[in-house]
Amino acid sequence: MRIPYFPGCTLYTKARNLDNSTRASLGALGVELAELPQWTCCGTVFPLAQDNYMGMVAAARILANAAKEGDGRLVTVCSFCYNVLKRVNYAIKNNPEAKNKLNTYLEENYAGETRLLHPLEVIRDEVGWERIKSKAGENLKGLKVACYYGCLLTRPAQEMAFGDPENPTVMEELVCALGAEPTVFPHKTKCCGSYQLLNSSELVLSRVREILCSAAAHGAQAIITSCPLCQFNLDWAQEKIEQNDPGFTKIPVLYFTQLLGAALALPAQNLGLEQHYVDPRPLFTGM
Amino acid sequence: MTTDLASKMGQELSGKILEISGQNPHLCMQCGTCSASCTGIDLMDLLPRQVMRLIQLGNARALACRSIWICSTCLLCTARCPRGIDIARLMEALRVINLRKGNEVLAPEKIPVDLIKEVPQMALTSGFRKLSA
Repeated sequence: MRIPYFPGCTLYTKARNLDNSTRASLGALGVELAELPQWTCCGTVFPLAQDNYMGMVAAARILANAAKEGDGRLVTVCSFCYNVLKRVNYAIKNNPEAKNKLNTYLEENYAGETRLLHPLEVIRDEVGWERIKSKAGENLKGLKVACYYGCLLTRPAQEMAFGDPENPTVMEELVCALGAEPTVFPHKTKCCGSYQLLNSSELVLSRVREILCSAAAHGAQAIITSCPLCQFNLDWAQEKIEQNDPGFTKIPVLYFTQLLGAALALPAQNLGLEQHYVDPRPLFTGM
Repeated sequence: MTTDLASKMGQELSGKILEISGQNPHLCMQCGTCSASCTGIDLMDLLPRQVMRLIQLGNARALACRSIWICSTCLLCTARCPRGIDIARLMEALRVINLRKGNEVLAPEKIPVDLIKEVPQMALTSGFRKLSA
């Protein structure tokens, strides 16, 4: 199965390990991600000012180009890209003014027909948990994993249609299928502070500390996410938190695709586990 | 300032916020669910509920508070508002009115160089889109 794929800027630079592990793990499950021949930055954030159509142009162009490839599906894994592409697609479908302005500007005739999918949806709906179970082996047996969705995958609920906006379960279903154990995690859809890292890093440090302590209190040995900024904030902050709190226990923060790749026993060079601040490699024996 | 002038300016501000956000702030019943849910509350000068009240009153203090720049647009307030108000869009309207006048909080030279080297690119594009003019 071949599906058009939009990697996004960060996956070509700081989050190469998310790109590599996504392509490799889906490839091992029979899904070939075919990168779009031309793409730009998605715009990163969906404009919440309703007169800001310029903030939607980049995403609209990507969606319109994707509609000309493959069978109308488009996969993207970064939570920012997924959120902005899905919301712009929703706007084009449901807001005639957005559709007209964007199409006029781009000289396109796009009506929102691209079906945007997250790899978690592809794995669940196209591959299926049973097939994952049969391929996963026993590598992750007993590993306790906290599934962190952050703010972008599920909200706003009506537009994202990614499960309950505060209690999605697809990552937990994946963890179960991989033979590991999802922990209870009340902070799974709290925000890590996001781009406030640049403006108010103390906000990020306090949010991240709360999220990490919640994961640890529920017995998690690892946290998984699909967002390069969540991953960075949760991973990078730990050394700083530890400096002020010697009792703090570090927890590795992985992409869900790295965990999937480890369960499928993919070669280490596809997973990029060495590119983390808190080394996740001790979690996986023999890797 | 005379009461008449203050009231006219308040109406202008309310109109601008409505135009940019598409949200009706008068639906707010001041329950405080947004404040209780907010990611940035510890560092805000006004609670989101208080910002909502100032918007209802057309009070320009809503434009000058720190809270609008601490909002990380996580949409928890929007998801939980029992009156169905998209509060994140109102916060964005207050930022946008400032940004369109050139009032910004995130300047590249204020970001530590060590941090710029490390952060994922999306942090820079999203931060500048939300917090820079």
